[in-house]
Amino acid sequence: MTHSPAFTLARRTFADSRGRNVGYGLLFALVAYAQPAAYRNDYPTLHDRLGFVHAFAGNASVRLFYGRPLDLLTVGGYSAWRVGGILAIFAGAWGMLAAARALRAEEDSGRVEILVAEPVSRRTLFLAGVLGCLAGVALLWVALLVGLLAGGLPAGGSAYLALATVAPAMVFLGLGALACQLAPTRRVALELTGGVLLLTLVIRVVADTSSSLGRLRWVTPLGWSEELRAFAGPRPAVLVLPAALSCLSLLAAGALWLGRDVGSGLLSTRESAPPSLRWLSSPAALAFREERWSLAGWLAGSGFFALIVGLISTSVASAGISSSLRRQLRQLGGISITRPAGYIGLSFLFFVLAFSLFACSQVAAVRHEEAEERLEALLALPVSRSRWLAGRLGLAVAGVVGLSLFSGLLAWAGAAVQGAGIPLATMVEAGLNCAPAAILFLSIAALLYALVPRASTAAAFAVVSVSFVWQLLSAIVGAPAWLRDLSPFEHVGLVPAQPLKGAAAAVMVAVAALVAVVAVRVFARRDLVGP
Amino acid sequence: MAAVSSQRPRSRSPAAGPGGTPADPAIATSGLSKRYGATRALEDLDLVVPRGQVFGYLGPNGAGKTTTIRLLLGLHRPSAGSAHLFGIDAWREPVVAHQRVAYVSGEPALWPSLTAAETLEFLARVRGGSDIPYRDLLVERFQLEANRKLRALSKGNRQKVQLIAAFATRAELLILDEPTAGLDPLMEVAFRETVLEAKQRGQTVFLSSHILSEVEALCDRVGILRSGRLVDEGTLAELRHLSARTLEVTFQGPPPSLEGVPGVSVVERDGHRVRLEASGELAPLISVLARHPVENLTTREPSLEEIFLHHYREGG
Repeated sequence: MTHSPAFTLARRTFADSRGRNVGYGLLFALVAYAQPAAYRNDYPTLHDRLGFVHAFAGNASVRLFYGRPLDLLTVGGYSAWRVGGILAIFAGAWGMLAAARALRAEEDSGRVEILVAEPVSRRTLFLAGVLGCLAGVALLWVALLVGLLAGGLPAGGSAYLALATVAPAMVFLGLGALACQLAPTRRVALELTGGVLLLTLVIRVVADTSSSLGRLRWVTPLGWSEELRAFAGPRPAVLVLPAALSCLSLLAAGALWLGRDVGSGLLSTRESAPPSLRWLSSPAALAFREERWSLAGWLAGSGFFALIVGLISTSVASAGISSSLRRQLRQLGGISITRPAGYIGLSFLFFVLAFSLFACSQVAAVRHEEAEERLEALLALPVSRSRWLAGRLGLAVAGVVGLSLFSGLLAWAGAAVQGAGIPLATMVEAGLNCAPAAILFLSIAALLYALVPRASTAAAFAVVSVSFVWQLLSAIVGAPAWLRDLSPFEHVGLVPAQPLKGAAAAVMVAVAALVAVVAVRVFARRDLVGP
Repeated sequence: MAAVSSQRPRSRSPAAGPGGTPADPAIATSGLSKRYGATRALEDLDLVVPRGQVFGYLGPNGAGKTTTIRLLLGLHRPSAGSAHLFGIDAWREPVVAHQRVAYVSGEPALWPSLTAAETLEFLARVRGGSDIPYRDLLVERFQLEANRKLRALSKGNRQKVQLIAAFATRAELLILDEPTAGLDPLMEVAFRETVLEAKQRGQTVFLSSHILSEVEALCDRVGILRSGRLVDEGTLAELRHLSARTLEVTFQGPPPSLEGVPGVSVVERDGHRVRLEASGELAPLISVLARHPVENLTTREPSLEEIFLHHYREGG
């Protein structure tokens, strides 16, 4: 049986992104299952739940990443908050990555010219790309549904919550498709959409944590997901907003695609420039020159969230806390998030995660240099392989330390404005406390790069994600200590609430150094590997 | 290019560097082999390229030319055997070897966000120097738009950036992997001029190429690679001598049978005319021909193209 070109191309788009789809699908299913199960287990009676609500009512701090809770007395309401709140952000990121991969990557590599030269219309190409992505959205929806049903939630409500959670994926698929028409390259398209996603998250944080700006929820796709109110008086009419925005942006993107030159974006870029001779003296200097804007983005993003964490750290102080919540927190290290130090300590665990992902992105950039065969040009010069890789890893370590320090400083500034009374030195320590685990992940990513270059980027991100999810889950499912200890996140002291785990940090840095040395030596002995 | 500055090359003397003696050839491989899984990309290559020669490296797609170059540069590790540049082991001491080598890859993969001038400057600085006046001359000769970003340049123009960077180093050995793919005929002329200049200066050039006229015009010696094996190697004159020459004989009457003559094969019969290919000694053929009335006889040496095609078809 022969298939139409559209079907063949759509299937290829879908198959192309199977790694990402499987990873996200597993994450979505796992989180969707774990949250209702854990809640039912930890707060079995109404009394327990009332205690929990009492602790969290009017508590701005927990809304930073999870959004606004609407109904914490039912398993469904709790799940809508914990599952929908955080996975909506992931869904947005998925949509943006899927659009760039399906609608732009082939163009950067020049392959799309081959397809356009075939008797395949541009309309077909675009539709096939979008269809391939929609199949991915459907997969995420199914993964969520399966997880929620396994967690014991009713089918109708679960389907609706899953829909509300994947709605941002649709919207950012559309916005990503639009960015792909505007930007001259895939990377710029990702940066544009990523910027919009970050702004969306910032607006949600502001809307959910301030008492007077709740209306801002109506401005962003993440806010719409909240306003859909799964398991808390659903308002399905709100679905019109994400549906309309994704349809309109996809239509606009399609129209622009039909009318523009292949291989270039509608935003003009400077194609020539007078020579700028700074940061050209060595491969590491050039790497900094190439990565500086991405580094600045990371600094701005993490700095902003550190400031917010500092600013709202005092708002938790007045709330009471239930015995069950205390039990749950004890498992995370026996701290009290009702004190600013406790709240900051817990929040900074997310910064450890972010900086570990930053470390992976740096190794991904290293691999990109090799896959694009630029490394051949470089290593044909009198440049030692070991020094080259060591230089790139050194740059990444400097980035991690810089990000950690900057976050500590801004969280201190935010907390100081609110009079939280945490000394500067303590917050610098809290910031730097994020670095050892991230550096350990950096070295693991480097080893993966040396051993399995083609698979290394995906594998490195997977190691970080699995470690993080495992650290959260293992506490909930009551895994034995030795299993919990496998995750480096387990060994991060929740500074400033807890003292810095100096020995653990030293061990992580020492292991990282050792692994990095092995990685550099392995890399120096292997063939360079193309795309 | 006036804004770009750099010092003179660090060392450009023909004396031996660390690890080698002045007598060591520019390139010497012995038993050099490379396998990728089950694929034998290169087998048992023994090759010597003396200093100061222009060596043409020919072979069809997938014959192992780029593999050889990656092994010469220490980018891939030999499965067996070794490669030495000026007596320096290419895999064990790549950094020392590369101080005397410049490389132009077939795929001009450079940094898209840098301009051509910035790229030249970066490559020169990492190398530790470049001949700036000569580089400016080459920028002029190749008509490079120095302020254009690499992502805005065509493949041929990106190739020019690599060529200028490599030749401006005045490295003792230039390793060029299909360097003129993508260049227009005018730039091809500029390329040949530059290679001849390098040869006059005593630089060694290892030129992997598909363009036979280019190899014929530039190279002192030629190696032909097929399926990972070196099937022929020598000067063009040697290759011609060893290969079959073509003879066309027109007889006054019906042509005699020539099938039994040693080293001769009949390619074509057309009335009184016979086209032959003869290899080795011609004396047996001539003594046969002398017994028949011959009206006309022409003979010519094989072109490089014929040698090349002969080797490719043989067993291929």
